[in-house]
Amino acid sequence: MDNVILIAVLVLILGAALAYIIKAKRRGVKCIGCPAGGQCSGAKGGSSCGGCSCNCGCGHSE
Amino acid sequence: MRIAFAGNPNSGKTSMYNALTGRNEKVGNWAGVTVDKKESPIRKSMYKGTEKLVAVDLPGAYSMSPFTSEEGVTSEYVRKEKPDVIINIVDATNLSRSLFFTTQLMELGIPVVVALNKSDINEKKKTNIDVSALSKRLGCPVIKTVSTSASDEGLREVVHAAVSVAGSVQKAPYTQGTRVLRDKAEAEEADRRRYAFVNGIVAQVETRAALTRDRNSQDKVDAVLTNVWFGIPVFAVVMFLVFQISQTWVGPVVADALVGGLESFQEWVRGFFETANPLLTALLVDGVIGGVIAVIGFLPLVMVMYFLIALLEDCGYLARATVVLDPMFKKVGLSGKSVIPFVMSIGCAVPGVMASRTIHNERERRAATMLAPFMPCGAKIPVISLFAGAFFSEHRGIISAAMYFSGIMLIFLGALLINKITGNSAKHSYFIMEIPEYKLPSLSRAFATMCSRGWAYIVKAATIILICNTVVQIMQSFDWSFRVAESADTSILASIAGPFAYLLVPVVGVLSWQLAAAAITGFIAKENVVGTLAVCFVGLDNLIDTEELALMEGAGTEVASAFAITKAAALAYLMFNLFSPPCFAAIGAMSAEMKSAKWLWAGLGLQLGVGYTVGFFVFQIGTIGMTGGVGAGFVPGGLAVAAFAAILSFLIMRTKKRLAAERAGKELRNG
Repeated sequence: MDNVILIAVLVLILGAALAYIIKAKRRGVKCIGCPAGGQCSGAKGGSSCGGCSCNCGCGHSE
Repeated sequence: MRIAFAGNPNSGKTSMYNALTGRNEKVGNWAGVTVDKKESPIRKSMYKGTEKLVAVDLPGAYSMSPFTSEEGVTSEYVRKEKPDVIINIVDATNLSRSLFFTTQLMELGIPVVVALNKSDINEKKKTNIDVSALSKRLGCPVIKTVSTSASDEGLREVVHAAVSVAGSVQKAPYTQGTRVLRDKAEAEEADRRRYAFVNGIVAQVETRAALTRDRNSQDKVDAVLTNVWFGIPVFAVVMFLVFQISQTWVGPVVADALVGGLESFQEWVRGFFETANPLLTALLVDGVIGGVIAVIGFLPLVMVMYFLIALLEDCGYLARATVVLDPMFKKVGLSGKSVIPFVMSIGCAVPGVMASRTIHNERERRAATMLAPFMPCGAKIPVISLFAGAFFSEHRGIISAAMYFSGIMLIFLGALLINKITGNSAKHSYFIMEIPEYKLPSLSRAFATMCSRGWAYIVKAATIILICNTVVQIMQSFDWSFRVAESADTSILASIAGPFAYLLVPVVGVLSWQLAAAAITGFIAKENVVGTLAVCFVGLDNLIDTEELALMEGAGTEVASAFAITKAAALAYLMFNLFSPPCFAAIGAMSAEMKSAKWLWAGLGLQLGVGYTVGFFVFQIGTIGMTGGVGAGFVPGGLAVAAFAAILSFLIMRTKKRLAAERAGKELRNG
């Protein structure tokens, strides 16, 4: 039983972390958690990141 | 309705944008912080009407004729995208320069509202601006604002005024006309006429108790802080204090308490799953939780450092630091503006690299992009703290500061090399930067910056680093037939990192696949170096126990003995990690800013070569100093360094030949 709970905890933690990363990457975030806001895009030289409206690739979704 | 925020650099546009939208975009008490446009809806609390308002924050610009790429963003946006209204943020403390841009904006035919920002500073300096007279002369609404105060009523008034003027027609107070300016002289003459007009307005609406030419107390302080002789020592002392406070005096004390709590939680989890499969328990307790604790343990040190850096930035000192460093950078052929990317890279290399786009000259911009990652970023602080604390516990502040000054030295050397390789004629470019006024730094803003950075650190630790640590733990537990490895040395991780460990022998003196694995995972995120080491050397979660350190039996010596390397090797390994290529996110930013595969690969090659060379020399010289003989791997390491030097020499010689051929061709043509 302990093993089942342990596996469930591991799946939950790793799944949540992976889901966060995938979601952030889909929004165009280049560096997970980066607080540099609109300045953190880089990779597309300030062009549209696809997911966000600010066109800076920062990953902010508003 | 789209409302564009336009104005001179450091007039407070992003502060106003943050106050009106509730966003937390990077602000700074200096020019050039914003390099790209951003947009977000204005909060309902700022405007009671039904219309949906979208604020567009634009980079600062002095004129509609763009000189830098970020000024181009502003100019292009207001010309082509045609926002419904422009809120022109005017620095009330520098009216004549700000109104030059205002008169240009008003010529576009887009309704303008002038936000007379920093009005609180004017009140303190007893400078009075007749708002109604100014509004009359400009032909648009003018409202006093203090963008750093979200409760300022002027901010709401500005939004309401913007909504009310939308769609209206305003008459430009000054028009240049449709005449095309054919050359520089005509353009300068047109600018002079516009300045004369603006100065006429300023003379009518502004009264000053203190004139700009008067020497005030700020000028006296500047005479010391930006002095050609005192500036650098003062900067060194300030930075040393930042590291001493964050990594010796305050940070570790908080970190100790935090790690203590987290370790109790880890032990509780271990006890809870006592009867479960040991492999799974180790994966959760040592891999996931242990690895994350090792990284999170350094969070207070990182947060305290960001808090102090934010204070320095807000009070206006950091802008002065750029002035102090500017002449030195120019001497090695870098743009004075390079200082901004380098200083910003202390926080994170990604915005630091991006800030290099403010540099006009392409070669200088690429050089700055290539060299900015040499400044140790926030993600490298845990690595510095770990090795400084474990191996040099009594001098950790000095070691930390030394890493930053080594970064500056490598930037100089790198710039000299790039000069030689590209055949730059070392023409001096000019760096004109507006120096902000000194002010009492806002503790709340510094706190907000610290929390924002801290949160980012936690998110990174709980996602990327957690996944990496788990993968490392799994790879360390199994062999290639996916059976439990008899020992970590026969694991998948050991076999992958093993070959790289040979390359590191000339730097660390021992064959350690754990150190190699940590250096490799560091390319995903530099904090991973600490996380991977904690997973590989199980039981080293609490890497910064101050109480035990005080007893001289604690984490420091424990870590040092587990790593089984000398002090010289520890310093060399630390410097190799700091000065070798940055994380993938920063490499992506480098690629975007360089816009050249050749330059990108050259940059990565230079960083790898420099990191390895520095590590090699630090270890070998340190070993000679301690033992009188060279360290392990001296010959192969020396050959690798010699190969790097040979490549550089070849490139320099090739450039010299090319330049000589060009000169000869020129002389031939000239007869």
